[in-house]
Amino acid sequence: MERNGSRSPRKPTDLPQRGQRRFFRGGCRGGIHSTVATGASFTQNHGVHLAELRLRDFRNYGRLDAQFTPGFHLFLGRNAQGKTNLLEAIYLLATLRSFRGVGGTHMVRHGAKGYFVGGTVVGRGPAEIRAYWSPRERKLSLNGAPVKRLADFLGTLRAVVFCSEDVQLVKGVSRVRRRFLDLLLAQTRPDYLPLLLRYTQALRMRNALLKHPLPDEEQLAGFTAELVRLGDGLSAARRELAPRFAPLAAQAFRRIASEADELGLEYHPSVKGDLAVALANSRSRERTYRTTMVGPHRDDLALRVNGQPAAQYTSEGQKRTLALALKMAQAEYMTGLHGSPPVLLIDDVMGELDATRRAGFLPLLNQSQRAGGQVFMTCTAEEWPRELGRELIRWSVDAGKLNQA
Amino acid sequence: MTRLPEPVTALAAALGRLPGIGPRSAERIALHVVQSDPTAVRDLAAALTLARERVASCSICGALTESQPCPVCTDPRRDATTVCIVERALDVLSLEKSGTYRGHYHVLGGKLSPLNGVGPEDLRIAPLEQRLDRAPAREIILALGGDVEGDATAHYLARRLAGRGARISRLAQGLPAGGGLEFADELTLSRALEGRRDMAP
Repeated sequence: MERNGSRSPRKPTDLPQRGQRRFFRGGCRGGIHSTVATGASFTQNHGVHLAELRLRDFRNYGRLDAQFTPGFHLFLGRNAQGKTNLLEAIYLLATLRSFRGVGGTHMVRHGAKGYFVGGTVVGRGPAEIRAYWSPRERKLSLNGAPVKRLADFLGTLRAVVFCSEDVQLVKGVSRVRRRFLDLLLAQTRPDYLPLLLRYTQALRMRNALLKHPLPDEEQLAGFTAELVRLGDGLSAARRELAPRFAPLAAQAFRRIASEADELGLEYHPSVKGDLAVALANSRSRERTYRTTMVGPHRDDLALRVNGQPAAQYTSEGQKRTLALALKMAQAEYMTGLHGSPPVLLIDDVMGELDATRRAGFLPLLNQSQRAGGQVFMTCTAEEWPRELGRELIRWSVDAGKLNQA
Repeated sequence: MTRLPEPVTALAAALGRLPGIGPRSAERIALHVVQSDPTAVRDLAAALTLARERVASCSICGALTESQPCPVCTDPRRDATTVCIVERALDVLSLEKSGTYRGHYHVLGGKLSPLNGVGPEDLRIAPLEQRLDRAPAREIILALGGDVEGDATAHYLARRLAGRGARISRLAQGLPAGGGLEFADELTLSRALEGRRDMAP
């Protein structure tokens, strides 16, 4: 989840399932999330782009039909005109959830029953997505057929969002970083999300047992065994990802950091050794706190700059740079794996950066351009970074109306 | 606006409580019933009553049966030292259809689910233990579902039933027979890989 600062506290690892629940109230078989990892060989140099976006009663848009070419799109407009809402809608088509961390009700236009977001994605072939959401009904279809398994849907459009709340990845609690890790794994490993959902379920069951003043130890053991089996799978996936992702993040950071700062990224599991043993050893603490104290739901991603913990030892500017580097690394990791760059959604973050840091961002944008990808960026008119502007497609956003400028 | 006659709405309400029947279908069935031949309806009512009166849970295994104990529990040709534990009475029918199992059954009546307040005392575990005390088994097969609750219940039972000298086994998980790999979801496939077996050349 990209924006976490505004999130109300929720259960620890609920991120991917919330999006699914929003559209699949029960009908989905175990909620399978898939990105076809075999795509690299035949999607090479095949940019995936959003060719058409259609909104009905979404946020401040009563009705919007817009066509987009590949390339760099700039949404210009004063504050509160609906620029970010456009990025939110595109992100929704990719992930079925809002990067603002809100549920469906927040995205319905005031006074309307439900929202509709539709889009045509051009990649290996055109794909038409239609998503309708109302408190009573959710519909999702791909090329006219209702989506039964998320595996068949996710991966149609891939997006990475850059927004100012990303700084929570550095400043915020471990849950924010865990979410980032989970999202990246869910986007790149088809078996990860089902595992995560099952783990979360086993954890909730186990915690329900622990709420009793005198938990049934035998029953607890049954759910502990399940938790261990699933937890081991999660840790293995996270442990495998970290060394592959860390160099990309370090490289991105070097590119945009002003000084020669070194970023270190390391997976910090809550349990280093055997999860079953650690759970057994934590039983007395569990009795006090009445909840599961150790396990992958307490993992963290340690960020260090020049060997020092990033949250404490960096300036505000460095934190932003670091967060941006993590997102850039996410985009590059996905590009490497899928062979085509994800659609980049950049919400106002350029304005926060000085010219050198903005320059560090350029390779990613150029790469996207070379591969026929697509970038959407929001800006208030005064602050748009001129050095980016070669082949910009400019749009003006004014009170829920979008016009090519 | 004219309303449906009260007996029709009452019937629809009763039908709507059945599984898989929503308000629309309930209304449609009710309207169909009141417009059909009275004998057909009388037959239906009789069939409903008869089915409910004649069918009960087996006093030993908990499966649905007309006679007490059920035909499976009383069949001398079946192996009484093998007990297969299932969640619901319906699961007995599924396994019987496969035709390969020749032992006895025990229906739990559910699975452990702390979030729904289902504990061991809500399941037919104590009757199972009493039964095993009377007639010890050589093998206990746990044929429970593959979801979190099913797996946890299997773990729980394996622990609780250990020490009886019986072999405790669990159904294998993996590919559906006759299906291509493309029809299996990711978790099933990874379990199938975990549970792979050597092949004799």
